[in-house]
Amino acid sequence: MLLEDFFSPRILVIAGKGGVGKTTVSAALALVAARRGRKVCVAEIDRKGTLPRLFGGKALGYQPSELSPGVWGMNIVVEEALAEYLKVQYHLNRISRMFTSPQFVDYITTAAPGLRDILVLGKVWYLEQGRSGGGPVHDFDTIIVDAQASGHMLTFLSAPMGLADAVQVGPLRRQSEWIIDMLRDRERTRVHMVTLAEEMPVQETVETSGALRTRVGLVPSIAFANAIYTSNPNSKDSLEHSNPEKLNADILKEAAAAAGFRLEDDDIVALVGYAGFFKARSAIQRRHLAGLRRNIEEPVIELPFLFSAGLALPDIERLADEIEIKVAEL
Amino acid sequence: MNPIEDLIDHKEVIVCAGSGGVGKTTIAASIALRAALEGKKAAVLTIDPARRLATSLGLKELSNHPVKVNRRKFTAAGLEPIGELHAMMLDTKTTFDEVVLQYAPTRAQAERIIANRFYRNISSTLSGTQEYMAMEKLYELHSSGDYDVLVVDTPPTRNALDFLDSPRRLTDFFESRMLRWFLIPYMKAGGGIMRVANVAANTFLRLVKRMVGGEVLQDTAEFFGNLEGMYDGFKERAQEVAALLRSDATTFVVVTSPSDESVGEATYFGSRLNESGLPFGALVVNRVHPKLGDGIQVVKARHLRSLKEGSSDARLLAALLENEAAFMRVVGLEEDNLTALARKIPRHRWVRVPYLEREAVDFPGLVAISEQMFPSG
Repeated sequence: MLLEDFFSPRILVIAGKGGVGKTTVSAALALVAARRGRKVCVAEIDRKGTLPRLFGGKALGYQPSELSPGVWGMNIVVEEALAEYLKVQYHLNRISRMFTSPQFVDYITTAAPGLRDILVLGKVWYLEQGRSGGGPVHDFDTIIVDAQASGHMLTFLSAPMGLADAVQVGPLRRQSEWIIDMLRDRERTRVHMVTLAEEMPVQETVETSGALRTRVGLVPSIAFANAIYTSNPNSKDSLEHSNPEKLNADILKEAAAAAGFRLEDDDIVALVGYAGFFKARSAIQRRHLAGLRRNIEEPVIELPFLFSAGLALPDIERLADEIEIKVAEL
Repeated sequence: MNPIEDLIDHKEVIVCAGSGGVGKTTIAASIALRAALEGKKAAVLTIDPARRLATSLGLKELSNHPVKVNRRKFTAAGLEPIGELHAMMLDTKTTFDEVVLQYAPTRAQAERIIANRFYRNISSTLSGTQEYMAMEKLYELHSSGDYDVLVVDTPPTRNALDFLDSPRRLTDFFESRMLRWFLIPYMKAGGGIMRVANVAANTFLRLVKRMVGGEVLQDTAEFFGNLEGMYDGFKERAQEVAALLRSDATTFVVVTSPSDESVGEATYFGSRLNESGLPFGALVVNRVHPKLGDGIQVVKARHLRSLKEGSSDARLLAALLENEAAFMRVVGLEEDNLTALARKIPRHRWVRVPYLEREAVDFPGLVAISEQMFPSG
């Protein structure tokens, strides 16, 4: 797939369970887009995410701010999205504090389940249309939605359908339909899923992939399987296929001596131990990846585990490189 | 002494908290398993367990009470429980219904509430409800006196702190003067906005009606009307639940992974527990990459280059060395994060659980985790 085609829809929704690395993948995709000269905005949803820390910036606000050249970030806070909605829809210019209090937001979003998600997706629609209910208007080429829904990702994306059923008349119903149109139109929106090669995330990804089709009428595009243990891709001798009988202390010591250094017994224990750990975790991941591929139709892109313990920009750059290569191979 | 062992001996309620994806459910179940092995009658209250784990524990989705884990599971794993292990999966809606039935003055009023659409939305939508109902169920099980130790998993909130705020958030919502003042007159006026004289209430009602329609407004007004006369009971109950969480019988176990984000959350959570007067018991650092050796220092870049151009044995050694170096890098980075954590939570309060070469998604997996947590056997 050409990267131009990958970015031809303006909205990329990155969906997945908590803790699978949606923000990492969103950030990497943003870098890929920015490298192509696109003005990209990553929208976090109602959370103080780790995105700004990656770029050394301050916490994200409701108004987009530039994190690095071409990469913008924002936090779609539900209270603010509601205030903006009331202003635009009902011309409530001086919004009474009453209507932005947590109790009112809780009340109205409980009275109309799905409204919370609609307000968020409505803001995305607004960004796509190049409009703003106050504050500067931005013309983003790419809008990446880091869809950190508190519950199941399906709930988030099926909210417009639910609301369209619950609210029979009025502007909200009409707006839900606009949002449904936006989500279903592959020229405008693509949904990519992120998962880990573990039991629960794979199970949820498979369920979501099917349910998005049947319940939302939306076909997800790519499943990114994150944090896959991968041995050095430049080395032809990958550990996944190494012969266990070769992991013999004498053979390894001999090979070291031939190359001009000396390995101690402790070193051999560490080498063989980590090889075993790698193979064991890798086998678990391979099994889940096979299950994932068997049960979903969309292509799976594997992203490597970065042997890191937190996010740093160089790691994200590496993932961006990886994504460029693997998308091109699709 | 292992700090959690100590908690099992002396506490009745162990609440496991932490951000999503760190293995809270597994840790909670492993603690309960250990308690059962030590002779306690233990129950683990899970929120959203992996399907295989639930099946392995014999859990069925709709039973909202603990079910005893079959002894055969233990014997198959070579274990002999002196006590008992029970497990349950929380059903938020049913738990809420039970609360309503208990506090409504009449059965008819309870039924009107349970049938109300806004009430049903609360169970599925209002944030904080699931958290609160978990605590409510915990309180009920504790009051029953049927168990020696209750271990509770907490819902997968976006961040661990939502859970601490949830009970107050829910009672504040029910007690909201705004909602009561605006919605109850509306119902008393027979659903006619025109007849509601209060200007603010009138503005509120008009907006809600235009946004979500008259029918939805009617549902919500009925709900708050039916709730009248129950607030005091609810509030009292919420206070009792809160008191249990603060009592000597309860302790909090914070679960984290060694990643910087998770460690940051755990640190913050620990300080919030302190501020809220809630008892912090122990920290579980889960999924730590194992440290094997101290790193192989003698290998230089030129050695690797020469190995990569050598025989198949040499090339394999190069791959092994690169693999070892990569793992040592992650071990080092995790250790940096944990050193920062140790400045906030002293290491003698920790239990470290290594990242295992297997998954803990069934009963034998729990046994493996439990053996790592409590290595004394």
